[in-house]
Amino acid sequence: MKKTGQQAKAWPPGVRRRVRQAIYDFHVRAFGEEMARVNFLPLAKRRRYVADMVDHAVRKGVKFAKPALGVTP
Amino acid sequence: MPLSYAEREEFYESLVARARRQGIACAITSGMACVAYGVAQATQDCDLLCAPDAAGKFLSLLGEASLHGQLPSYRGHLTPPLDARWLRGGWTSHFVWDAEGAEAYLDIFGVAPRGSSPWETELQGFYAGPHTVAEMKRTNRGKDWPFVTALGAHMLEAKDARGWLHIYDENLLRTFGEVSPAPAEMLKRRPILGLAVANDSRLHAALYAEVQFWHELDRARLRIYEKAVRPYLMAVKKAHVPAGAVLATQHEIRVRCAENHLPTNPLHDYGIDQMISDARAALGEMVQPSTLAWLPDVCEQFKVGTA
Repeated sequence: MKKTGQQAKAWPPGVRRRVRQAIYDFHVRAFGEEMARVNFLPLAKRRRYVADMVDHAVRKGVKFAKPALGVTP
Repeated sequence: MPLSYAEREEFYESLVARARRQGIACAITSGMACVAYGVAQATQDCDLLCAPDAAGKFLSLLGEASLHGQLPSYRGHLTPPLDARWLRGGWTSHFVWDAEGAEAYLDIFGVAPRGSSPWETELQGFYAGPHTVAEMKRTNRGKDWPFVTALGAHMLEAKDARGWLHIYDENLLRTFGEVSPAPAEMLKRRPILGLAVANDSRLHAALYAEVQFWHELDRARLRIYEKAVRPYLMAVKKAHVPAGAVLATQHEIRVRCAENHLPTNPLHDYGIDQMISDARAALGEMVQPSTLAWLPDVCEQFKVGTA
């Protein structure tokens, strides 16, 4: 039995390459070239990149805390 | 010594692990989950989903959760108590570990805003599933929307057809429409997909209207909660929580204030249909009327936890 939302067929290799490129192009448009590259890194490297980015920002005085409003967007 | 991102992440994950060992259903969501699902977001706080019925147990756990020698406190006067009654009604409880240079922030939800299915059923490791995370990201903040689309693409690549519900980029939607038809169930849930699959020129305007609809829905929802919280805010301000009070004492004071001044479920009181109608009316003033025909039925998104 299929799980909720599960798609039936795998894409052929050519289609998969095309989709992968379209997704990468979207990441470049939405997040910029550098973050698109990061988003396609293996998880451990991506986490390390985010950690370095946040730690650097905090050292430079960036505040990440969101207001505590009791309800969240 | 400032607390690093990795230390914070480890702390939040250990909190989830301890909670689960005690039988508490909980999961990290939002920015930290996005990183796990292939879209990096710089965030320092942790958004956590916790089963409302386990709120009391989770509060006890928090009361002992020391970080750099600091125990947590409730954050701000607007924060409702971490109690099943208010968590179930869509409120968020905010906590802070307030050590100099080592602050940590934790926001706890009982129900996922806009979640169309129970989040507890689809956990992936420490995290809520990408479907839940994507639904939570349909906010009134423009910056969240590329994350929704990225999560949708991640799901479609992983062969989860519900990814179709989260693609809001026109080019990407057309590409997916060309390579694989959206399943009938998804077309029913999101009519605009029919335009993408048919490569219809009306897609651009309809997609814009759909995103604006979610913006308006979120604005309407926030207005309802912000209005409902005002008497509670005044009560908490007047309550004078003793400096250095332990979390349990802070909690008792907030519960007392909430029982007298904070409706448990203002969205339910206001009416989900009325909120949707408000959002449609606001949308009608900013988009072509013909695009309203392509809007999804969003009732399901507000049913979980608001009954």
